[in-house]
Amino acid sequence: MIAILIAILSLAVLGIPIVLAIDRRARGPLLVGTAFLYGSGTMFVVLLTLSIAHIRWTLLSVTIASLLIFCAAFAVRWKAASSEMSSTTPHALDLVTIFTIVCYTLYATLTAVWEWDFWAIWGLKARTFLELGAIDWRFLESRWNTFAHAGYPLLVPLNYDFVALINGGWNDRWLGLLGIASAVALALVARSLAARETTPFFASLLTLIVVSLGFSRFVGLAEGALIAFGGAGVLFVRSALRDGDDVAWRHAALMLGFAANCKNEGFALLAAVTIAIAAISWKALRKLVPAYVLAAPWLILRTVHTLPTDVAEGPATSRLLARLPYTPQILNYLAQQISRPWFWIAIFAGILIAPAALRRREHFVFVVTATQFLFYLLVYLATPYELHWLVLSSWSRLTAQMAVPITFAVFLMLANSLRDAQDAPHAEAGSDQ
Amino acid sequence: LTVRRILTILCLAAIVFLTVATRLLQLPFIDRTEAVRTLVRNPDRAWPDYPIFLEGVREHTSPGDSIAIIVPAMKWDGGYSYAYYRASYFLAGREVLPLITEQDARLMQNFRGAKYVAVFGVGLRTPADVVWRGSRGALLRLRPR
Repeated sequence: MIAILIAILSLAVLGIPIVLAIDRRARGPLLVGTAFLYGSGTMFVVLLTLSIAHIRWTLLSVTIASLLIFCAAFAVRWKAASSEMSSTTPHALDLVTIFTIVCYTLYATLTAVWEWDFWAIWGLKARTFLELGAIDWRFLESRWNTFAHAGYPLLVPLNYDFVALINGGWNDRWLGLLGIASAVALALVARSLAARETTPFFASLLTLIVVSLGFSRFVGLAEGALIAFGGAGVLFVRSALRDGDDVAWRHAALMLGFAANCKNEGFALLAAVTIAIAAISWKALRKLVPAYVLAAPWLILRTVHTLPTDVAEGPATSRLLARLPYTPQILNYLAQQISRPWFWIAIFAGILIAPAALRRREHFVFVVTATQFLFYLLVYLATPYELHWLVLSSWSRLTAQMAVPITFAVFLMLANSLRDAQDAPHAEAGSDQ
Repeated sequence: LTVRRILTILCLAAIVFLTVATRLLQLPFIDRTEAVRTLVRNPDRAWPDYPIFLEGVREHTSPGDSIAIIVPAMKWDGGYSYAYYRASYFLAGREVLPLITEQDARLMQNFRGAKYVAVFGVGLRTPADVVWRGSRGALLRLRPR
């Protein structure tokens, strides 16, 4: 357990100068939340780079590479211009959030990671790579290992490898804690962003909601990291569009780039965000360049090593066209199988109840969510797998991936509609001054 | 209070309750021993000895070795896929080879090409040296014919 706690702390410390290089104002929840996420993403980049450079992963090689990045980010930080600081105010309700995190931690650490997909995909890759001290391309390319979904991005397995390097060997007993760290990081980011728009009470309540949605019950899979990076990315774009804030754009692009390195759904999210931004402003699209720069290496490596992507296997277009006439039935089946149906009904009700003016401000999040849903529907139409099985095994995870940004937006619409319009913007910042 | 305000309050309350309320919040107050036991047993409930056997195989092989897997269930969806995936995890770093395809076709080239054959829960009538035996199975090295 000590090893994973040291790993989480190390990732957060590695991320601090990176956050400050991007955002000199970052303090409190924003600094801590983004620091862990940047540390996690940077560790993926470090291990990927070492592997490409044929430098074996050891604690020493990884530490040296990380320190180089740490120092470079620190130097950039000192050159950055100073600007105003953002802050948040604690609330008694935060104690409930802390209690919730404790409960989730107990669940994630009941025993060694137990999910089938952990030991057949995410954990398997991490453990295999650890043996070699690098990404084992022979393993990924082997026709016998297609069950391990060789084409999936590697951020999460490489994070597990970092923990194993600190531990001095493979141990899956406490790896569930990385998912907790991701959920907490996302909640801290959400808290910081919510605090700019609403009262401490509502910001605190929203934090409780985000930590609940951000914690994936599928312990050990890449869902938790994807929800955290993807959720933070979309919320930062939302913030950037609201405030015209360049710093938020930078955070958004990097978070979305890391999300694309968690799962293929991260690529889908990046595409959905791109479409949503294009619908608002073509000029703003260039702000997403860092996201594509981060996503590109794995796409290139996957192509070079001809790693299979299951949805694109065989005649995907034929399958899609063959299932297209059954779209109403598929939609009906998705509606039947949705997890937390009353939660989604409440979200849709919230969209309808909210004042039109507030609803218009959230177009970006609505378009992203709708586009994500459309992409998932297309995947279901084109999948080479048996459709009912795929829906049963994936739909609850996919809806969980979409939940954070839209819940954040709907909650703030409703909460702010209850308050006088003059209090709405920057309420918490005002209360601190 | 307008109707919209009442609906807004109800909707906010519903979102909070439906998101936060979960059985996981009971975890600190209940005995978790049974839950842990279930989670530990669940993946290997058919063959509880199988992970112990695979740990033994791991101890007696080296990284890079190729190992074919033989278990009582030699049908892909009848248990072989589980045995193969599970072996891949426990024997990470080795090349684990399946002996049947997803369509249950035999893969004799993997049997002949493997350095070792890990046999669990069944006997194997073929000329082979026993490298290690334990936990209802054996690690065999096939003799050249």
